[in-house]
Amino acid sequence: MLSITGEGGGIGGGTDHRRLGAHRDARLFPRTGVVPFVALLLLQRRPVAGRALLVTGAGCPGHGLCRSNVQEQTRRQVALLNATAQDLFSLYLKCQGEPFSSETDRLCNPSGVFFPAFRVNRTSERKEVMVAMYKLFAFLNASLGNITRDQEELNPTAKELLDRLHNTTKTTRGLISNLTCLLCKNYNVFQVDVSYGESSKGKSAFKKKQQGCQVLRKYVQVIAQAARVLLPHLSPP
Amino acid sequence: MFSGWNWVAHCLYLLLNICSLEVSGGLVQSCGHIIPESPVLALGSNFTALCILNESCLDFGNIYANQIIWKIKNKVVPKEQYREINRTVSSVTFNDTSSLATPLTCNILADGQIEQNIYGITVTIGLPPEKPKNLSCIVHQVSKLTYPMTCTWNPGRHTFLDTHFRLKYRWPQENFPDCIPKDVNNSCTIADVQFFVNLEVWVEAANALGKAESDPLVIDPIEIVKPLSPHNLSVNSGILPTVLKLSWENRISIAVMKLKFNIRYRIIGDTNWMQVPPEDTASPRTSFSVQGLRPYTEYVFSIRCMKEDGVGYWSDWSEEKTGVTTEDKPSKGPAIWRIIDASRSPASWTVHLMWKALEPFEASGVILYYEVTVRAKSSLSSPPEKYNVNTTNLTLKLPNGTYEVTVIAHNRVGASPPSVLLIPASNTKAPVKNVRTLPKDGKLWVGWTAPNSYILKYVIEWCLVSNSSDCTIEWQNEPGNIQGTYLKGDIKPFKCYLITVYPLYADGQGSGQSVKAYLQQDRPSKGPTVQTKKVGKAEAVLTWNHLTVDEQNGFIRSYTIFYKTIDGNETAVTVDPSKTEYTLSSLTSDTLYTVRMMAYTDEGGRSGPDFTFTTQKFGKGEIEAIVVPVCLAFLLIVLLGVLFCFNKRDLIKKHIWPIVPDPSKSNIAQWSPQVPAKHNFSSKDQMYPEGSFTDVSVVEIEADDKKSFSEQDLKPFDLLKKEKSTSEGHSSGIGGSSCMSSPRQSVSDSDEGETTQNTSSTVQYSTVVLNGYRDQTPVQVFSRSESTQPLLDSEERSEDHAGGSDSTTQRQQYFKQNGGQDETNTDRPCFERTKQITPANEGDLVGFAQLQISGQSSQLLGLGLEKNTQEAALLGVLQTSTEGQTVRPETVEGNPLSVDEMPKSYLPQTERQGGYMPQ
Repeated sequence: MLSITGEGGGIGGGTDHRRLGAHRDARLFPRTGVVPFVALLLLQRRPVAGRALLVTGAGCPGHGLCRSNVQEQTRRQVALLNATAQDLFSLYLKCQGEPFSSETDRLCNPSGVFFPAFRVNRTSERKEVMVAMYKLFAFLNASLGNITRDQEELNPTAKELLDRLHNTTKTTRGLISNLTCLLCKNYNVFQVDVSYGESSKGKSAFKKKQQGCQVLRKYVQVIAQAARVLLPHLSPP
Repeated sequence: MFSGWNWVAHCLYLLLNICSLEVSGGLVQSCGHIIPESPVLALGSNFTALCILNESCLDFGNIYANQIIWKIKNKVVPKEQYREINRTVSSVTFNDTSSLATPLTCNILADGQIEQNIYGITVTIGLPPEKPKNLSCIVHQVSKLTYPMTCTWNPGRHTFLDTHFRLKYRWPQENFPDCIPKDVNNSCTIADVQFFVNLEVWVEAANALGKAESDPLVIDPIEIVKPLSPHNLSVNSGILPTVLKLSWENRISIAVMKLKFNIRYRIIGDTNWMQVPPEDTASPRTSFSVQGLRPYTEYVFSIRCMKEDGVGYWSDWSEEKTGVTTEDKPSKGPAIWRIIDASRSPASWTVHLMWKALEPFEASGVILYYEVTVRAKSSLSSPPEKYNVNTTNLTLKLPNGTYEVTVIAHNRVGASPPSVLLIPASNTKAPVKNVRTLPKDGKLWVGWTAPNSYILKYVIEWCLVSNSSDCTIEWQNEPGNIQGTYLKGDIKPFKCYLITVYPLYADGQGSGQSVKAYLQQDRPSKGPTVQTKKVGKAEAVLTWNHLTVDEQNGFIRSYTIFYKTIDGNETAVTVDPSKTEYTLSSLTSDTLYTVRMMAYTDEGGRSGPDFTFTTQKFGKGEIEAIVVPVCLAFLLIVLLGVLFCFNKRDLIKKHIWPIVPDPSKSNIAQWSPQVPAKHNFSSKDQMYPEGSFTDVSVVEIEADDKKSFSEQDLKPFDLLKKEKSTSEGHSSGIGGSSCMSSPRQSVSDSDEGETTQNTSSTVQYSTVVLNGYRDQTPVQVFSRSESTQPLLDSEERSEDHAGGSDSTTQRQQYFKQNGGQDETNTDRPCFERTKQITPANEGDLVGFAQLQISGQSSQLLGLGLEKNTQEAALLGVLQTSTEGQTVRPETVEGNPLSVDEMPKSYLPQTERQGGYMPQ
């Protein structure tokens, strides 16, 4: 039985899961091409007790695709996001113009926005890491979708930025698919509580830019940490 | 009555039913229908259709299922396939749908006669889709962030139905919209794919008969990427002259894909690529230094990439970029050779030194000049002469001797090692042997057998042999350890090359050995022009000129002469190529021949122009062989004729030129019985050579005995008279004609009495011509008179005597009597007459007289030829004749009066009025 809940927001999804994301902007995904995250936001309400909720792997959807290379694929995806995050942020700032270019620290301070906690390190259990990452990239996928939507509106000619946003969003989407596979197959986890950020819909252009800037800056910081944490866990034996 | 109405109603109902089939909207209800309606059937399957009649039709039209006829198109289905299920349902079964066609109709026989259609369906036959096979996908990078994936598959057999293919793909927890091919059924492109996620891909084929799915393909798209090639390739010269540094940009992030590379390069102008060892470029990078290059050489580079682990596809090769390495010192000295012209002066040479410009990789830069040093080996004291030249040749005039020439090439960086050539005073060393050539791989290979001694190197000279240009020498050096090489030059096909190989020793050189060769042969560009040098009756000497070298296009292996008559078969004769002349034999005389000539190389032949000639009618000497024998035969015949005539002169004379009795010599009057009749033939001949009597007619009288001429003797005379009378008819009256009469013809055959009378009254005398026969001048000696006047008594008697003497003896006697007084004077009258006729031929006549006198001549006077040819001989004979008979002409001429002294001889008479008159 899948139980999906949201904290402070939700993501819109595809046709089957749109109901899962209360905060999700239904316009986002069709325009960005991001298939609504299946968002089997498998919530372990009590991570420690999560084992009691494990089900057999035979019930994982797409079991045949959960192959041994998924772990490496996940690592490569995180590495790819980490490698492109800074460029994406820089390009985003560049495309927003002043005062974001000069007042980055002040305007893009991420402390003012919601970002899921990523409190894992190299010594954390692999399953815990996987769950934390799932929450992180579920949030990022939704946030990047919103940012992409806002930038298509605010900077429709910034093709490279839009391409990078699309590509990053696609990558997070694939990463979520792989994490779902890993959690289901390896840890029988198929319920994870995820939180989505505040929707920028209806906000001013400046607020949209600022929110995007704040999320991306935080994204740069967190993805680097995630890459470092994930490396020993996902490296090939 | 009821049945009639029923029948009408039935018909109307059927008509309405028929109309109902054609009227849309179902205004009229059909009498039945077929199930299934318009089925789609698998080919080869079985099929059963049911025709169900409406109950209303049963009641109204008496139509039942047993009356149903099934038809395919217009062909009735066999009844064996029918089955009457009940009275309203009939079925038809087909075991194999391949026998089906559309439409399938249900028909009924109304009242067993009229066939009416109840219903029809269309049948579609096809095949279910096959399982698509060989599904494969590739991700083409089209931009830095765009990676469409194209999948292809084998759609399987043709289904004859509308079959739809869909490319389906999904992630573990997510399905994506199907990719539907456009205009094709075997490929589809997904616009964008995500790396590092396993993607399941499969193809679904569906038509009315079913669906089929391919085996799923589970791939991570990153493993099937064909990346874009690196771009912005640049080439920079390194510090070393053998290094170039390449730099480029990759168009795929290293975070996405780590790449390995292939770098290829070639010297510009060369078509062969070299490649940097793949292991040197197996790691991600954006630059690479290519080493081991030639100095001052322009290179072309290109690069490609693929996923580092080799999974996926290589990109296309990048655009080509060029770069030039820096200069270095020339790596070797130029190859050097010489041509020595010793013809101008025996004591000195004109030496043409020539060397080859260094190849770019040898020159390692721009050659600025060449330093040439010439050192005489014989006089070590004299300093070497140095020349700096910009060209690749130098002509020097040197005294005969041995020299050492050194050439050094200089560029901006430095000088090359020296090249040394020893020019000996004479080529006394052993030459190479067995120089041969072989075209191979479009090049001309030259081989030779090396001498036993150590060879420093070889020089191969060659030049194009042509009529239109001089033999411009090209050459090349080869190391001394080889015995064959390809000529390194622009060797053209169909051209003759003269190739010479020189061995160079450390202390001299051997003489060159030459051979002619073609890289490729062809047929001659033209054939020889043949013409005749001499034409005979059965042979003709043909001549031609050799083809020029430019026309040969190869080695002339043979000539073939083709000749034929106008309507004859062509004959071919093969001639050795060294010949320029050939004699055709066994030709037909007086015949027009056409001849042409082909020259053959190894590749074929070409014919020259046709030439025609006519053989002669007669062969050499043939005319002479005919004419000369004919002439000789003619001469022989003439000679034989002459000899015959000469031998038979008496007979001829008798028949052709009879001796007419000369009345003037009649000696009847002088006749006396005392005249002895003892003369024999020889004496007669002496006395009267025939030639001397050609001007007279002689009556020969044979005498039986030596008795005197008595009356008995007159009898034959009478006979003679008869003959004379017959001769009248033969006398033409023309002078000389009587000379042709025989003596017998001159005598009349009439009776005696009349004969005497007639003779005395009609005998005619013609003019007797001396030497007047034919074209000789006729001289009247005496003429026959046309007068009928009787002769004088004395004459008649004389004639009678003459006529009575019938025997030769008597005639001889007669002449004997006439000449008995003086043999010399006997002929004198004749000579006298001769003198009168032809005074100019006096000498001849003298000779003739001598001949007559000598009694050795038997010639006729009338044959002047014989007379002339024998004259000298006769003179000789005369001089050596026997005693007493040789009479010199002076002697003859000295007695001109002898004639007048003959009192009893009669001179020829001329006719005068009043009778004969002695002259």
